[in-house]
Amino acid sequence: MKRLTAAWLLAAVLVAGSAPVMAHEPAAPRPAVSPLTATPYLAVVKPAPNFALNDTAGRVVRLSELRGRVVLVSFIYTRCTTACPLLTARLGVLHRRAQTLAPAARPILLSITVDPARDSAAELARYAARFDASGPGWRFLREEPVSLAPVLHAWGEWTRLAGDGELDHPARIFLVDRAGRIREIYSLAFFDERQAWLDVRALLRD
Amino acid sequence: MKRWTIIATLVASILTAGVVFAETCLSPYIKGLRQPEKVMYLWTLPATQGPDYLSVIDVNLASPTYGKILRKIEVGSSGNEAHHMGFSDDRTKIWAASLNTSRFFIFDVGGDPMTPKLVRTIEDVPRLTGLSGPHTPYAIPGRMLVSMASGSDGTGPGGLAEFTNDGEFVGSHKAPNHPYETVVKPEFNRMITSSWVSQKTFMTSLDKWDPKDFSSTLLVWDLKGRKILQELKGDPIPLAARWMLKPNATYGYNISNGGDSIWMFRMQKDGAFTYKKVASTGKGCLPGDLRQSPDDRYLYVSCLGASEIQAWDIADPERPKLHDTVGGIVQANMMHVTYDGRRLYVTNSAISSIDYSPRYALRLIRIGPDGRLKLDPLFAVDFAQGPDGPARPHDMLLN
Repeated sequence: MKRLTAAWLLAAVLVAGSAPVMAHEPAAPRPAVSPLTATPYLAVVKPAPNFALNDTAGRVVRLSELRGRVVLVSFIYTRCTTACPLLTARLGVLHRRAQTLAPAARPILLSITVDPARDSAAELARYAARFDASGPGWRFLREEPVSLAPVLHAWGEWTRLAGDGELDHPARIFLVDRAGRIREIYSLAFFDERQAWLDVRALLRD
Repeated sequence: MKRWTIIATLVASILTAGVVFAETCLSPYIKGLRQPEKVMYLWTLPATQGPDYLSVIDVNLASPTYGKILRKIEVGSSGNEAHHMGFSDDRTKIWAASLNTSRFFIFDVGGDPMTPKLVRTIEDVPRLTGLSGPHTPYAIPGRMLVSMASGSDGTGPGGLAEFTNDGEFVGSHKAPNHPYETVVKPEFNRMITSSWVSQKTFMTSLDKWDPKDFSSTLLVWDLKGRKILQELKGDPIPLAARWMLKPNATYGYNISNGGDSIWMFRMQKDGAFTYKKVASTGKGCLPGDLRQSPDDRYLYVSCLGASEIQAWDIADPERPKLHDTVGGIVQANMMHVTYDGRRLYVTNSAISSIDYSPRYALRLIRIGPDGRLKLDPLFAVDFAQGPDGPARPHDMLLN
């Protein structure tokens, strides 16, 4: 017991000693200035490629039928333990906030699995339920790998199996305007739902 | 005995826990390399005649062809003045910019990283963008932002040109100076662009450069709004800029080629930036590139004029200390630090208009755990006497 106590003491000393490798000075407090932009630059990036994919109930969702609505298209997979759960949680915040808008102005969220081989419709539905993501405003979509491949390609998505069972794929979310054009592309790692909300509002004013 | 094994394991794991792995000096939106590099892409221009090309070099230590040029991917046109490159955010494409003709060459490296393919050449960039003299392609999600030195005719202020990863033009953002390089800190929604001279100036010989054309400012942008918020004035020709890697780090550094100096930019609590000189690199250094270690502990400066590499200890961020220097590379210019911070590749051609030595080469500096530098005598790719004639090696990317 004494030896273990000594070990922990040693560990504590070493932790304190090794910390300066990343902390040459005290961590700077995050500036009070907001990172948000009320007047975002939302140029037309390109037309959003159309797709027809099944939701978890087997109903076909066509992007082209959502003209007139702002749409957020994200690419996820349910076994993802890193960025996807956090992203889905943040989209959940945006989704709840969207309920304050008139029904026709609410953005539609589409989350497409890039791992249909492992994400069955039932699996995807369970994932959606975990994030309280039911209802017509947020659909989780999948398609068999052969049919999904051209959709992923058109959106610049690809997958590569990593050694730990995770899937490597481009970490992006697309903001599509009411005319079906991509107006912003977000990185999953730096996605801020507060800014996305301002972007949605800006597109609604277009 | 068993307990001591546990203790030893614990100690070892704690000691190695301090080692930081990160690919530095790339856009934070790019998927980082998390393993030793296997291949280098080197943007190269012939010193005599022939088309510019991407050199594919074996840098896999375990390979029998380690240190050899595996292939050259020619771009089909000459006189482009191959200079800087950038990965797309998903690391499947390389954008290679040409200073003189303002062309962009897009290489696919996602299919087979050892065999890049030229998939698109973008012509007419000045007409498309209203800008010329592209310097650094920088990845943002799904797009590339390229700092452009001047207006469409090669004179006057430049700006940033924005394209999709595939090469479709999205928009231009004008600047009041001659943009050189871009750094972004996404958590603050801030972008900083450094500056240099117009295309017309940098394509003429050095003795004809007119100081009146020198930019001496950094621009602070609201990235999301693509809006300039602040202009920071310092020494002339503030080239490479690096933001510290730690999350929420509020500061970074850049080098001034004209001032032989290192400058620090820092965001204050009210969001405004300060900018001040924090070190002199020594008269005649003519800093050409600035790189950083993965743990934010060291800066590396190449001295184009003094032909040396300097390591600066920035443990005290406001007072960088010269930690070590290494010579032996004439006209040292571009550098690239590996993800583990242990190897620093160096090339030694700047621009055809200002190069003063034809001893072109790619060299390697080993970085010790104590931050000391040592030139590897065994690694040298000779570009001065290539089979197809001498060539100027400039920017590098690793995969």
